[in-house]
Amino acid sequence: MAVDINQIQEKIHVIIYAYPGEKRYILAMMQDLQKICNYLPREGLELIAEHTGVAFSEIYSLATFYKAFSLVPRGKYNIKVCDGTACHIKGSAVIIDQVFNSLGIKPGETTEDGLFSLETVNCLGACAIAPVLMVNEKIYPKVSSSGLLDIIKAYGGHVHEDGKS
Amino acid sequence: MQIIIDGKKIDAVYGDTILETCRKADIYIPTLCYHEAFGGQGRCRLCMVELEKEGQKKMVAACTYPITEKIEVRTSTPLIKKTRRNIIMLLYKRAPNSLLLQKLFREYECQDNSLKEDPAERCILCNLCVQACQEIGSNAISLIMRGTDKRVASPYDEASEACTGCGACALICPTAAIEMVEEGNKRSIWNKTFELLACERCGKLYTTKEQWEFTAKKNNACASDRQLCESCRKKAVAEKIKAYQAAEH
Repeated sequence: MAVDINQIQEKIHVIIYAYPGEKRYILAMMQDLQKICNYLPREGLELIAEHTGVAFSEIYSLATFYKAFSLVPRGKYNIKVCDGTACHIKGSAVIIDQVFNSLGIKPGETTEDGLFSLETVNCLGACAIAPVLMVNEKIYPKVSSSGLLDIIKAYGGHVHEDGKS
Repeated sequence: MQIIIDGKKIDAVYGDTILETCRKADIYIPTLCYHEAFGGQGRCRLCMVELEKEGQKKMVAACTYPITEKIEVRTSTPLIKKTRRNIIMLLYKRAPNSLLLQKLFREYECQDNSLKEDPAERCILCNLCVQACQEIGSNAISLIMRGTDKRVASPYDEASEACTGCGACALICPTAAIEMVEEGNKRSIWNKTFELLACERCGKLYTTKEQWEFTAKKNNACASDRQLCESCRKKAVAEKIKAYQAAEH
């Protein structure tokens, strides 16, 4: 979801300044920032540095450390494919390949139209229904190759012709 | 208090680390990420020693282990030697382009293996450059990413506003991994180019404009302070003292 930074600059300011300007609130600020922007915009990180008095390099270090944070805009629909032990054995690698075949994105990438992005997670804690994937907050259990194509179509994705359905 | 290091009784200060105590007692422990200015970081793990406490043995990093009780330390047992050789091997495979690691690799008689390596890499991620930058107060660089992608960089890999081009990071780097290029009166480091200032006395290019301004601000220097290189500054101070002495007589 591409967000125009200029439009929400005020909003960013409000959510960051909702916390006291202390080091220990940095992660909470980042989580809130990611929630409204879908990623961590540079302007937001600079504002956090300014508010907390922590060096910008340190803020950047934190933001790049956690996998949950993204420094580039994510798609409107963020597909999280679980690649934990159970899902891996149940064939999550096939699902990841299938996403690449149909949408042309690898983990960490976003489609050109900004609709989908793909990431892998280490465990969603739902091993009984492996392989699992999440689209934004919705969980899809026991995903098969054809099931994946249906999911992508349900979100308005154009499945490439070469997608092996 | 007294502890035993390599069978010898050594006087130690409560709370000092094993490494500090050994350095004082002239017992050699190899280190890469340790610097007196910052204390132990426990990053390179080269200072591992064997520790015996109440009959139990374990290995600890000497640079971060504070002495608070009666312990026995051994700094070069076969196990320690093997561990250090392993660490050197791993660090070499991480930074094969570093001359220091190449030398250590030979010294410790490490065996080469098929671990993947980046032939151009020189950084062992010891964090000393980041510490130095922090200590100086610029905070221009930091460790970014994590795991195998971890590296030292300025935010967004851009020329950092905070960097004054002082070169402390390059100076402290044990493996010469930070590239600082000087050409004519220009210095380039961390994707940023600086103009070098000449010493008002000897004409030597000795600092960057940004660093001079940064230090002047930090030390509340007055406008009349002259821009002098290190040796000329010493001379200037000595002359000042001489002048005082002459005035007194």
